[in-house]
Amino acid sequence: MAEHVILFTGPMGAGKTTAIQSLSEIEVVRTEANNSERHIVDKATTTVALDYGEILIGADEKVRLYGIPGQQRFNFMWAILKKRAEGMVLLVNSDAPDPIAEMLFFLDEFRELYDRGGVVVGVTRADVKAGPGIADFYDALERTNPDLVIPVFTVDPRDRDQMENVLLALVANIEMRAAFGMASVAGAL
Amino acid sequence: MTTGLHMKPAVVKAAETLLVDMRAATSSLSYAALLTDDGFDVARFPAKTDGARFAGMASSMQALGDAVTHELSIGASEYLIIASGKGHVVQLRVPGQELVLSALFDNDATVGHALAITRTFAQKMAGLLA
Repeated sequence: MAEHVILFTGPMGAGKTTAIQSLSEIEVVRTEANNSERHIVDKATTTVALDYGEILIGADEKVRLYGIPGQQRFNFMWAILKKRAEGMVLLVNSDAPDPIAEMLFFLDEFRELYDRGGVVVGVTRADVKAGPGIADFYDALERTNPDLVIPVFTVDPRDRDQMENVLLALVANIEMRAAFGMASVAGAL
Repeated sequence: MTTGLHMKPAVVKAAETLLVDMRAATSSLSYAALLTDDGFDVARFPAKTDGARFAGMASSMQALGDAVTHELSIGASEYLIIASGKGHVVQLRVPGQELVLSALFDNDATVGHALAITRTFAQKMAGLLA
């Protein structure tokens, strides 16, 4: 059975755990603790080590889904988890104070995953508060990383179909690159 | 809105005092830290160290221990031990609190002694916060 390892990154509150729960076909391994920072992000719990889920694509392709803790004090986990990943779903919440800066920060932190397989960006909570539009995210990527081809989607991490589209775009990109030894093509999908 | 225990001066003061007392109780204690479940440093011994990174690591270990006991259906995790050639780390939750006590002992202490000391002081911390 072919396997892929995909890492879900992004800041606290972007929807990483929710996305993995939406996608996973097994009970998700969660490492939640009560959130001491509700004055910063108003959610009851937060991931402190990792999330883990699995999904089958087709009959014989397993995708292992790992989620990072979003806070920088857990960046030792980032180093551990990125070693085993082939690609990244980068989620940023549109209602954060500066979601574009968050996207660029995590892209920089996990840049090697672009080289290894590919990256897709999912903008969440776009319906909660009017934040930057998709064009603004593309503009920022073009300005800072003109050589990278990274698709940006608006997604609801609670919606399995939407998250599956994002995941399939990334997996297809990884497989095409593996097959043809080519640069990222996810943006063309 | 709830404030984290690491931001409550009375909790921090009690934690600092407890760790000093813990060291006084056993000279084999090399390092100890109290941290919140979500990885914030509350207090540490020796005090003049940067506990932020270790607090994050200890909270991740605690949560992974909980995930393993859940996966294997063996109830709640009671303590974690990491043994190495130069000492052992013993870690457990402060009963009834969103706090973890993690302690490094040198090899002069047996694992059993280290666990007993750590348990005793976790219970003392619980008593101070009750």
